Amino acid sequence: MLSYILRRIVATLPVMAIVALFVFSLLYIAPGDPAVVIAGDQASPEDVERIRQSLGLDRPFLVQFGGWVWRILHGDLGTSIFTNLPVSAMIGQRLGPTLSLMIVTLLLTIVVAVPLGVVAAWKAGSLIDRVIMGFAVFGFSLPVFVVGYILAYIFALELEWLPVQGYTPLTQGFWPWLENLILPAIALGCVYIALVARITRAAMLEVLQQDYIRTARAKGLGQGGILFIHALKNAAVPIVTVIGIGIALLIGGAVVTESVFAIPGLGRLTIDAILRRDYPVIQGIVLLFSFVYVLVNLMIDVIYTLVDPRIRY
Amino acid sequence: MSEALLSIDDLHVAFSTRRGMVEAVRGVTLTVEKGEMLGLVGESGSGKSVTGFATTRLLDAAGRVTGGKILFRGQDVTKLRGDDLRQLQGAAMSMIFQNPRAALNPIRAIGLQIADAILTHKRISKEAARGEALDLLRAVQIREPEARMNAYPHELSGGMCQRVMIAIAISCNPALLIADEPTTGLDVTTQKVVMDLLADIAAARGMATILITHDLGLAARYCRRIAVMERGRIVEEASPRSLFSAPQHAYTRRLVAASPTATSRIEDLVTEEDRERYATVVSKPRAELVHGTPPLLEVRKLAKRFDQGSAAVADFSMTMAGGESVGLVGESGSGKSTTSRMICRLIDPSEGDIVFDGHSIGYVASRDFHRSRLRKDIQMVFQDPNESLNPRFTAFDCIAHPLLRLGGMRAGEALRERVEECAVRVGLPLDLLPRFPHQLSGGQKARVGIARAIACRPRLLVLDEPTAALDVSVQAVVLQLLDRLRRENDIALLFVSHDLNVVRMLCDRTIVLRNGGIVEQGESRALFDNPKTDYTRKLVEAIPHIETGEMLAAAL
Repeated sequence: MLSYILRRIVATLPVMAIVALFVFSLLYIAPGDPAVVIAGDQASPEDVERIRQSLGLDRPFLVQFGGWVWRILHGDLGTSIFTNLPVSAMIGQRLGPTLSLMIVTLLLTIVVAVPLGVVAAWKAGSLIDRVIMGFAVFGFSLPVFVVGYILAYIFALELEWLPVQGYTPLTQGFWPWLENLILPAIALGCVYIALVARITRAAMLEVLQQDYIRTARAKGLGQGGILFIHALKNAAVPIVTVIGIGIALLIGGAVVTESVFAIPGLGRLTIDAILRRDYPVIQGIVLLFSFVYVLVNLMIDVIYTLVDPRIRY
Repeated sequence: MSEALLSIDDLHVAFSTRRGMVEAVRGVTLTVEKGEMLGLVGESGSGKSVTGFATTRLLDAAGRVTGGKILFRGQDVTKLRGDDLRQLQGAAMSMIFQNPRAALNPIRAIGLQIADAILTHKRISKEAARGEALDLLRAVQIREPEARMNAYPHELSGGMCQRVMIAIAISCNPALLIADEPTTGLDVTTQKVVMDLLADIAAARGMATILITHDLGLAARYCRRIAVMERGRIVEEASPRSLFSAPQHAYTRRLVAASPTATSRIEDLVTEEDRERYATVVSKPRAELVHGTPPLLEVRKLAKRFDQGSAAVADFSMTMAGGESVGLVGESGSGKSTTSRMICRLIDPSEGDIVFDGHSIGYVASRDFHRSRLRKDIQMVFQDPNESLNPRFTAFDCIAHPLLRLGGMRAGEALRERVEECAVRVGLPLDLLPRFPHQLSGGQKARVGIARAIACRPRLLVLDEPTAALDVSVQAVVLQLLDRLRRENDIALLFVSHDLNVVRMLCDRTIVLRNGGIVEQGESRALFDNPKTDYTRKLVEAIPHIETGEMLAAAL
C-alpha cells in the first residue's frame, strides 16, 4: 500500500510540471503588457522599461521559467506587484478561511447528501423519493449567490440567529468560527448536496438490484444492515468519485460565496489579483489549487483500494 | 396423512409492469414432506423461480401474491410481517441461487458473509460466529478453510462460491432449502460435485429441499418426485421414472424429447409430429470432400500467454475442412474460449500461426483484422444473446450492421432484402425486425445473433457456448438451425461448449482441452462412447443423462 502511494506521488510530478508550465505561460497568453499595467497610467516609457528589467521580463522565456520553478521549489512564490508583499505570505493569510469553508461544506454535504440518497433509493418511486429528488433539482438550479442572499436575509437579518457576514478564526473558539460558516456552507453546498444525493441514489439503485442484496435478504438481515453494510459500500466508488470532483466545484463556488458573505479568503484574493493583473499572486493561487486537486485525486484513488478489494494496482 | 412441512395451495403471483398486471404463477398447488428433495422443473418464464421466491418472501417489489396460501409448518408465510418474517428467512427456510458469484457480496470476506447469517439469528459473540463459519466451510468441503475465511468471492471459483452459498444457507439448520438453478453455469464435473454435496448435506441434516431447475436430467438424478411447470401452472407431477417413460402432458412430452440423452441425435430433439420437416434436410447426402482439397482452417502450434503466469493455451494445432463441424470442449479455464477468440482474430496469439483458406492471418494484429477481406469469412456467435446485442440497435440494425461494415452494402432496398433473407433463414419472423433486444425472447435473440453472424456469408462460424443461456426446447431448435446452415450453406462450425451432449450431437469431430493443451481428439461418437483418457471419461460420466434406456428396462 505504501509503495503504491509513493508510486502515485511520483506519477503526479509530470502533471504538476505541466500545470506549472501552463500557469507560468499565463503571463504571456493574457493580453496586456504587465510592465505597462504595473507602472500605471502616468508612467513614462523609461519607468516601464525599468520595471520590465527589474522583474526580468526582458529575459528569454525558458530562463524566466527555470528561475521561477527554482524559486518555487524553495518556497518562494514571488512578490506581489501590487502590495510588494511575498505571495506565499499573502496566500498563507487567506488560506484559513477558505480551507475552513471548504471543509465545513464537504462535511455538511457528506452528512446530508449520502443519507438522503440512500433513503431515496430505498424508497424509490415513493413520495419521500420524489420530495428528495425535487429538492435536488431545486438545489441544482439556484445560483450560489441567490441562495446566499436569501439565507442571509432570513436567518441573519430577520431571525438574527446567525451573523450576516464575516469570519472568525478557529483560534478564537469553535462556535464563533462555526457560526460564521454555517450560512456560507449551506449556500455553497446546495449544488454539491444535490449532485451527491443524486449520484448516491443512482449508485444505490444499481446495487440494490444485485443478486447479493437478495442473498442478504434471504439471510434475514435487517433493512439497516442491508442498506449500510452490504449496499452502500458497494455503491461507494461512484459516490467517492463525485465527492472528489465536487471539490473542484467548491473551489469555484468559494470565490462567489466569499464575496457574498465577506469572508477574507482566497476567493476574494483571487478576484482582487485578477482585477489588478497581479500575475505573481494569480500564479501562486492557481498553482496551489492545482496542487490541492491533484492531492484530492490521489486520496480518491487510495480510498478506492480501501473500499473495493478487487481494485489492485 | 401427517402434516406436510410445506404446502402451497392455489398460489397466484402477479407482477405489475408497464403493460399492467402480469400473472406469473397461476394456481400452483404443491406439498413438500420433511427431508424430501422435490424437483421443480420448467423452462424460463414457467414461474418456477417465482414460486420459490414467493415461498421465501424474496419477490421483487413489483411482484405480489394475489391469491392462495403458502403454509410452512402450518403458518401462512404470505401473511408474515417484520420480525416474524426475519425469523423465518435464513433460519427456518433458506435459499441458494443461480450464479453464485453474483449472489455473494463482492467486497466482503466470505467468512464475514457466513457469520452475518449466523449473527442475525443467534445471540452469540462474533468470535463464536466466526468459529461456526469455519466449521461450515469445513462441512461444505472447502480446502484450507482457515485461509479461505478472509478470501473475497472474486478469488474463488464458481463452484467454491456455490459451496459458500450452501454454507450460508445451512448455517442456521433450516428445515427447508430452496435451490434455484444451483448448478447452472458451472462445469459438468463441478456441477456433479456440488449437487452430490448438497444432496449429502440435505440427507444428513434431514433438510427438505426444492430443486428448481430447467434440466430434467439433473432433477431425475437427485429427486424422487418431480413437478413440471408450464406458464404458471403445474402440469404434471410424478416420479422421474414414470415421467420419462410415460409423460402424460403434451408439454412434458416436448420437454422430455428436447432433453438430450446419451444416444439422442439432433433430429430426435423434437416430438414426432414436428420431426418430418427436419428429417428431409438431414437425409440429404452431403457432398463428399474431394481428396486433396486444402483445409479451410489450419492452426499451427498456437499459444497464448497473458501478462503473467503460465500459458492459457499452449501448442494447439488443428485443421478443419469446409463445412465440417468441430467441437472444442473442456472445463472452464481449459483455454477453449481463448483458443476460439484467437481463431476469430479477436485476440492475438503469443506464438504459432493461423492459416485460413491458404492465407496466414495469425500475424495480422487483431485490432487491424477488421480491415482484412477475410473478416467477413470468419464470424462469431457469442454466448449470451442478452449481453452480446446492442440494446439500442433493433434486430434489423444488428443484422444490417455487418453488411454495411463488411459487405460493402448501402442502406436501401438491397440491404433490406438481404436482412430479411437472413431473418427468414434463421426462422425469425419479419415483423420482429423493428424490435429492440429487450422486446425479444431468449430464443429470438439467439436467432438475431446467428442471423448477424451469417449475414456476410461467412465460411467459418465460431460459436462460443451459443446455447448455454437457452432453454432446452429453444436449444433444440437452435441446434437444428446450426446443423442446417452447415449442411445447406456449407458453413464450417467451430463449436465451443462445456455441454458434451450438445457437442456429441452437432460435431463430426471433438477436441478435448485441459489446462490449455489438447488431451484427446477424434470422431465425436467414438470419443464419447469410448474415451481414452481419464479426464475425458470423467467429463462424460458427469453429464446428468436421462437414462431412458435403463429406466425403460427397469419399468418393464
